[in-house]
Amino acid sequence: MDLIQLLLNGLSLGAVYALFALGYTLVFSVLGVINFSHGAVFTLGAYFTYLLIGGQAGANGLLAGLQLPFALPFALALPLAGLASALVALLIERVAFRPLRRRGADSLLALISSLGAGVILVNLIQLLMGAESYAIPIGTLGALPAALSLGGAQVRTVQVLLLAISVLLLVVLSVWLEGSRSGKALQAVSEDPVTAQLLGIDSDAMIRLAFGISGFLAGVSGGLVGLSVSIAGPYFGISYGLKALGVLVLGGLGSVPGAMLGGLIIGLAEAFVPAAWSGWKDAVAYGFLFLILVLRPQGLLGKPQTTKV
Amino acid sequence: MDAGLLQQMLIGALLGLSVSLPLRCGQLSLATPGFFAIGGTVAALLSTRIPAFAGTGATSPLPALLLEMGLGGLLAGLLAWAIGGTVLRLRGIYLAIATIALVEILRVITLNLPFTGGALGIFGIPQPFATASGYAGFTLVLLALVCWLCARLEQLRLGRAMAAIRDDELAAACVGIDTAAVKLNAFVLSALLAGVTGALAAHFLNSWNAKVGSFDASITTLAFVVFGGSRTWLGPVIGGLVLTALPELLRPVGDLRLIVFGLVILLGPVLFPQGLITPQALHGLGHGLLGFGQQLRGYGHQLLERASGPRRP
Repeated sequence: MDLIQLLLNGLSLGAVYALFALGYTLVFSVLGVINFSHGAVFTLGAYFTYLLIGGQAGANGLLAGLQLPFALPFALALPLAGLASALVALLIERVAFRPLRRRGADSLLALISSLGAGVILVNLIQLLMGAESYAIPIGTLGALPAALSLGGAQVRTVQVLLLAISVLLLVVLSVWLEGSRSGKALQAVSEDPVTAQLLGIDSDAMIRLAFGISGFLAGVSGGLVGLSVSIAGPYFGISYGLKALGVLVLGGLGSVPGAMLGGLIIGLAEAFVPAAWSGWKDAVAYGFLFLILVLRPQGLLGKPQTTKV
Repeated sequence: MDAGLLQQMLIGALLGLSVSLPLRCGQLSLATPGFFAIGGTVAALLSTRIPAFAGTGATSPLPALLLEMGLGGLLAGLLAWAIGGTVLRLRGIYLAIATIALVEILRVITLNLPFTGGALGIFGIPQPFATASGYAGFTLVLLALVCWLCARLEQLRLGRAMAAIRDDELAAACVGIDTAAVKLNAFVLSALLAGVTGALAAHFLNSWNAKVGSFDASITTLAFVVFGGSRTWLGPVIGGLVLTALPELLRPVGDLRLIVFGLVILLGPVLFPQGLITPQALHGLGHGLLGFGQQLRGYGHQLLERASGPRRP
């Protein structure tokens, strides 16, 4: 495989990891908890996209043969799937996180309850849509050609698209976080929710916002990956979610540029693992992660933790 | 009850205890399934590759099983000891993620090593017990022993130091507790228990592959502890028993069973933030049993008195 294709593979994989990790980061920065249902929301986004472009449910689920009466173009289906995923993420916040936060319970508990929400989602998908894999056909991209010529090399359009949309979302999110009033409010809440509340910021609303955005990001990246490599069944978000957890720590928990850098490093590292060694590919991400944790526990771009008396 | 299910529940309880040991000193380690996998791989390799371990009779010899459990636990404990010093410098969620990474690295290594059977794993592991009830009986004894040790730990210096670190690590260090050493001890004990359990589970399951030590298992075993309650030895045991049995007991609901299972995991922490078994509950239970015992003794005395006839003045 030539270098440009390899590079593009790595970059687009890395961008997906980064989007995924940003979803974790947003929730982690306001609540200090990893949301383990994130992978399931990603999966859900892929299925939403599939149905919205007019895909038909397979024969094994309760919804066997179901097809929406309309077929949207991919450009419209993707953001809609993102919005639907955001709604689900908000619902998860309402059921699995808010009751615990109200009681000031140990954050470990939210880890488990969010996992419960994820288990429910994944199995609900399996119940409704069956365990089979689905492919979002390239044809949904309309007039776009299947392959582009880039610097003399042939590359898949899907991957260019995946990379472009991910980068766009990452840039928009960074600008919003740093430049807008609500973005700054979100940062204030992540710094100290009580003080932020005293300063007139509605902490609860900011937490909901964080969940909404993270759900949207998960849904969109799910749809994109579904288009790029197909939806391999209800569990397919889990392995991405796990990898993204590594990306998250690699870059530094709670750091937005860190999540992007971590995504790129792991995506590129995986893409450049030789085919003969592909069995060891999964170990690369975790090996990196382990090494970084040992050498630099706060991650590449994270702030060092200090112990206060 | 089906002895096979009982055996799985008992293994769940042992794994719950393994996860709870580092948690007792406030360390969220999710490495238990990795060490569980190591113990199982050791047992599977020894008993399928070395004729002496497989034996010649219908069932493989019991001493071989005990030796495998010892070696599996030892190897897991050694690995924990070797990496523990480095990993345990991490705190909170960082430690959790590092241990998830460890489990995944171990899984990929097992998957790719030339002698562990790849994705299919190792088959035809010899059976030391002819029936599932044999396994369950043996595991019940093991569980009782481990429970006793865990309950006893609360009165020992190590156990009290662990509790002190859980409440406030800095304060514990200030009163002279070697926090790094205590945390390492808890981590190694946890790995040891997981390795021993893995060796036993490999025989029971008859085949062993890389999938047993996965992220799913990390989270499920953590759920045992959070669901049952992490502050007593009984909590993880109850959590392990109940949550292992639940998906099986829910079979009548058919396709809905995993959704109901998810609901239980979702609602458990919301309804019982401290877990099912709190220290107060265990204390109350202890008193209840003690009271019941005293009642029995009183009753016994009465019976004896009656049997020995009316007292002479």
